Formats: sequence, structure tokens, C-alpha cells
Amino acid sequence: MSAFDALRIAGSGMTLHRKYLDAVSDNIANINTAAAPGQEAFKERFIVAQANDYGSGTGGVRVAGAAFGSGEGKLVYSPDNPLADEGGYVRMPDIDLGTQMTNMMIAQRGYQANISAISRATDAYQAALSLGKNL
Amino acid sequence: MIGISDTTMTTLHAALSGLSQRQRVSADNIANINTPGFLAGRTDFESNLRSELSSGETPVVSGGTVSRSLAATRTDGNNVDLDSETVIATETGMRYQLALQALNGKYDLLSAAMRTQ
Repeated sequence: MSAFDALRIAGSGMTLHRKYLDAVSDNIANINTAAAPGQEAFKERFIVAQANDYGSGTGGVRVAGAAFGSGEGKLVYSPDNPLADEGGYVRMPDIDLGTQMTNMMIAQRGYQANISAISRATDAYQAALSLGKNL
Repeated sequence: MIGISDTTMTTLHAALSGLSQRQRVSADNIANINTPGFLAGRTDFESNLRSELSSGETPVVSGGTVSRSLAATRTDGNNVDLDSETVIATETGMRYQLALQALNGKYDLLSAAMRTQ
């Protein structure tokens, strides 16, 4: 335990949700990234969240790694695409924009919840720092 | 003979320490709001403090105990409820300020007693 621990804990939650948001924006940015049919499509990326020091209840959270969706994608007929095979097909990522937007909102709200936790902790620390000031 | 640090002050100190721990645990719950399988932590320091005070001893300032909430989980095995966390954190913040004010009042008394005319 260190001084101002609540700020560190809420900060770890902000980092996690920011990385979640980064992964979602990356997925959306690559939603039309084509690949040759013989190659894997762009795989959507997920962030794996894990609690730090779960028993203590004050360890915060961390990104334990990334998980990837399927690289199978879907074959789309697009003969103009330079990556297309003889049949005119390219492999496009099978990413659902609705799911990504939902995940983006989850990440944003999680980030905001941690910001509120920081402002509550700041109030408490601020009050503690003014202890005995008017003596 | 009452020293600077009497039972009132030690009790307030124990309360502040327990309340700040509860605030940390609440921050941890919010940080883990999207962590699969995470069960919300609940802090209890009151029952220990109450039993020490009712037996007439000066409380020992130590951390409270953290247990895991048994509330129903979501589909991802997480049971952090943002509404209750907000209520708990706000209430804890208020009680923390209240204990600080009481401690400040205690210091005021002491400093008044030390002041020369």
C-alpha cells in the first residue's frame, strides 16, 4: 500500500479501458482491410482484463494480453481489387460493426466510471491533507 | 492521565483507516467492472471496531477484512454493480469527511488547551 492508492487503482482501470478503446478503434479502422483469399483476414482484437492481487481487493486491474477473433473472414466478390484471385474473390474481415460500437460504449462508460472514482478519491485526500490546518 | 492520543482519536484513526480502505476497494471494483469472473470486494472494519469499543479497550488501528460479494453475476461472471459502487463510494467519502471533522474538532480542543492567554 502506498499513499494515494485509490488514485493508482482507478488509474489502472482507466488504462485498461483506454486500451480496450484502442483495440475497438483498431478493429473498426480495419473493417474493410482486404486480404488475398489464400491469407488470413484481419482478426479482431480483444483485450483480456485480469484483476491484480485479487485477494487484497486493492490491486487494480491490468491487461493480461490480447485475444484474437477468427481469421477466416468472409470471401467477397471484388474483381477490381488487386488482391483478388482468378475467381475475383478477396477475403474480408468478418467484423460486426454493431458489436464494435457496443464494445466502444462499454469501454467509454468504464473509463468514465473510473474518472468518477478518481474525483471521489481526490475529494477525500484533499480533505485529509487539510487536517489540522486551522490550528 | 490522558495523553494527546486518547481513545477518541484512536477510534477516529481506525475509522479513517477502514473508510479509506473501503474507498480503495470500491475503486478496485470500478477498475474491474469489465473483468470477467471478478466478484466485487466488500470491506468490513465496523464489526471489529464495535466489539473492541464495547469491551472497553482502545481499538487497534488495523485494516478491515475484504470479502467477496455473493450478488448474482452477469453472464461474464462479474457482479460489480456500478450503482451500488457509486452509492458506497459516495457514502464512504462523506463518512470520511465526517471523521476528519471530528478529528479536527478534537485537535481544536487540544490546541485551545495548550494556548497561553
